[in-house]
Amino acid sequence: MEAAQVKFFMMEDEFQNSQGMAMSEKENSLSFWYEELEGSDFPLVGKKNANLGEMRKAGIPISPGFALTLKANDIFIRETGILDELGKYINSLGEVSVEKCQAASDFTLDLINDATVPQVLVDEICSQYGKLCDLAGVPNLRVAVRSSGAVSMPGQMETYLNIMGEKDLVDYVKKTWASAYHVEAITYRMNKDMGFLLNIGVGVPKMVNSRVSGVIFTLNPLNGDRSKISVDVSYGLGEAVVSGLVTPDNYLLDKVTLDVISSTKGAKEIQCVYNEGGSDIKEVAVCEEDRNRFCLQRDELVELCKVSKTIDRYYGKPYDIEFGIDRDLSFPSNIIILQVRPESVWSKKEAQAKTEKKKDAMDRIVGQLITGVRFK
Amino acid sequence: MSGKFKSPHDIPTIPGTEGWERMYPYNYQFSKEDPERGKYEDEQLWFYDGLHYPEPHYPFDLIWDEAWYLALSQNNTRTFLMPPANGIDHRVVNGYVYITPVGVADPEEIGERVPVFMKRAGYYYENWDSLYAEWKVKVNKLLSDLEAVSFKPLPEVEDESVVFENKGTGSGYHLLTEYDELINMGLTIWQYHFEFLNLGYAAYLTFINTANSIFPDIPISTLTKMVSGIDVVLYRPDAELIRLAKLAIEENLADEILIERDATEMMAALEKSSAGKYWLDELEKSRYPWFWVSTGTGWYHHHKSWNDDLNIPFSSIRMHIDAINAGKEVGRPTEKLLAESEKIVEEYMALIDNDEDRVAFEQALGMAKKVFPYVEDHCFYVENWFHSVFWNKMRQVADILVSAGFIKDREEIWLMKRGEIKEALWDYVTAWATGVKSLGPSYWGKELEWRKGVIAKFQEWTPPPALGTPPDVVTEPFSIMLWGVTTGTLKNWLKGMEAAVGAPSDELMGSPGSSGLVEGKARVIKTVEGLADLKEGEILVATTTSPSWAPAFTKIAGCITDVGGAMCHAAIVCREYGLPTVVGTGNGTSVIKTGDTIRIDGDQGSVVIVERA
Repeated sequence: MEAAQVKFFMMEDEFQNSQGMAMSEKENSLSFWYEELEGSDFPLVGKKNANLGEMRKAGIPISPGFALTLKANDIFIRETGILDELGKYINSLGEVSVEKCQAASDFTLDLINDATVPQVLVDEICSQYGKLCDLAGVPNLRVAVRSSGAVSMPGQMETYLNIMGEKDLVDYVKKTWASAYHVEAITYRMNKDMGFLLNIGVGVPKMVNSRVSGVIFTLNPLNGDRSKISVDVSYGLGEAVVSGLVTPDNYLLDKVTLDVISSTKGAKEIQCVYNEGGSDIKEVAVCEEDRNRFCLQRDELVELCKVSKTIDRYYGKPYDIEFGIDRDLSFPSNIIILQVRPESVWSKKEAQAKTEKKKDAMDRIVGQLITGVRFK
Repeated sequence: MSGKFKSPHDIPTIPGTEGWERMYPYNYQFSKEDPERGKYEDEQLWFYDGLHYPEPHYPFDLIWDEAWYLALSQNNTRTFLMPPANGIDHRVVNGYVYITPVGVADPEEIGERVPVFMKRAGYYYENWDSLYAEWKVKVNKLLSDLEAVSFKPLPEVEDESVVFENKGTGSGYHLLTEYDELINMGLTIWQYHFEFLNLGYAAYLTFINTANSIFPDIPISTLTKMVSGIDVVLYRPDAELIRLAKLAIEENLADEILIERDATEMMAALEKSSAGKYWLDELEKSRYPWFWVSTGTGWYHHHKSWNDDLNIPFSSIRMHIDAINAGKEVGRPTEKLLAESEKIVEEYMALIDNDEDRVAFEQALGMAKKVFPYVEDHCFYVENWFHSVFWNKMRQVADILVSAGFIKDREEIWLMKRGEIKEALWDYVTAWATGVKSLGPSYWGKELEWRKGVIAKFQEWTPPPALGTPPDVVTEPFSIMLWGVTTGTLKNWLKGMEAAVGAPSDELMGSPGSSGLVEGKARVIKTVEGLADLKEGEILVATTTSPSWAPAFTKIAGCITDVGGAMCHAAIVCREYGLPTVVGTGNGTSVIKTGDTIRIDGDQGSVVIVERA
């Protein structure tokens, strides 16, 4: 790899400019619920959080939660004195090479590790977390803690799963802030000619406690027919369906009317669940009775497909959607979209006529009569 | 397809009915007398036409079957030369009608028929709207001619006018010709019935298959929603009841009408107030022609129209008043349906990704929309209005035979073939003319008593759904569209035959009629009178339903029928009311009992008996 060099700028006014500190009430907020956000709010909360807000706004149900702002991160590094410390340290480094990144990373991570999160931030985090626990009706609710940069830096920062309780939550928020200073993240910024300091947003969504989960295509994956929605669904966490560990239940629906065209019961032998108190996953057997019935309720199926149709429309093309049905939440808020990506197989193919060319309707009728009708 | 149904020649005669064949035309018999015809019968697939005929036939009632046997077949085979399809052949077994579509096997012949079909059918498609308008004129003329027919007992002495107006013809002769006239009108209305119908179905089928090529497995129910009309004549009778129910509420007559009593008593009570009189005047306006709607399919003499028994519409008006008072929506939500239909078409059009398919879809949809009003409406004119009036005219003929002592009761006339009635009338008029005693009274009494017994035995018999040899694929458009006969149905029927040997099954398969899943208590109802027993939220289990059952659909949670495809009345109405429906289960009304808890899946076409009552 090319030994890139970057000026580790550290002047405070420069830093402020880069973060855009024009003041308004919204910009002073420490956190927002996802539903309060939209795509253009990314300078405040980071892209991932803003996108989640945008999805909610578009009617796509995501796991409920809140986002800590870049401002919260800023308060953390200022009030703990980290900003000052770093200022002195970075200035002493001057022009640095890739090799020096490790030392800078270690230094920063130590500072953050030793710092105590200011009370104003602890209060904010705990108050919002409390509301989230109330919403789910579960004390010490499991949440994820996700980094969310204001510019795209895919995979450079950390996400922590299955965090429970106020104390751990505050700790992991701090860890997430720290993850902007992992050596890989710093190097990445160097290569992109970005600054050393980076305030990021943090997302805190409820961990989806999937009773069932699965994958939806907003077309028929077997023939590319865009008037259909195909649903694969099985018990437990999504891994079982995504990695093909089970034969899921399958539904084919009419995308326009949402009528079910066919449904096939899958064997659903096992399900993936979280280990008690841990974030790793184990496989457990599904009981006979549950295997012998469809795992989705009918109203859940319809709601899911409505959501999928919304996603398809919102992005204007067929999508591949991962979802879970949360056991802590009640219908319809238990329907949660985990991940969406554009369908990649059929969408790439060129449009092809499926009917024969006929000069008029009469010609078409004759053609039909001669061919006859073959039903499967 | 593996498996074979019973040979049509191997169906045993029910003990005590020996000689039943003489109750029906001789050409309706399965017979090996002619080996060639016998072989043809063995190699065809004959299915029981339960869609039209849930019951065995009285000899006279077979008139409609013969009428459409001729009309449909001749249109396919001789008039329009439908390229791959000839007519539909008919037989009777133990009183039940079996039919088989006859295809054109030779591809060369199909090819030769094409240009003729193009020219002839093309004329109809191109001029559809104006020809349909002319059709209505023709049919209305025929209906008013029918209304004018009347039968009177023969006079002791002819009126003077016969002499002084030098008529030259007498009452006996007129009775015979008037009877011929009546029968001929019946045959004529069925000629008209099929003037458009085959072409209508061909266009609709083309739409179904064009849509299926672009959107594989698109449900027929969705396609129906795209083409279904808003101003549908078949819904008019129910709309009239709703109008009368609303009027009753406005005129403060609701309480009066809600009192359950006989219609004559009710009308006498209403007659006493000016508001009541006004309401009765409005009732009269609705009655003609809308109350000629049949409470059945119109195919049987005992399918009464509302005009024949005003207790039926009164009971439905009461249901509507209750529903309106309870704040429920009554009737067809036409605006909603129209908006839904437009939205569905628009969304589907947006899903087509190339111009060629877009053109194909538009061509086929346009044609289907053009033909659909006829496809939806013709049966009010024919099976309901015409038939209802016709049965009553035949009752006038019956009254003459009663007064002549040929039959004891006017309802016995249906036990005679229409040719036999003509013979009996000859017997009557010649004896009258000669001034002697006719043979009829001693001849018919015994015979009709016996026939009554035969029909009763037929009613206890369950006709197998199919006979003969199933084809590898079912391609005949009418069988698929109307009777829901597809390869899949045949497989289920074959399966059902095997299952019938063992214990009664708690699971039934039919065709998806209307989407949705519901569980509830079953109410088995075989005739419209039974609707009075229906309770809110029950699942209606019927042999088949007719438009006059409409008021029931605001009450029920779902519907199952023994016969019918996606286009049958029950399926169409249930889709409009959003009620889960399974049609064509074959034997739902005999397997399911009132009070059973059943679960129906209108998407899969399955019915499960969860708990027996």
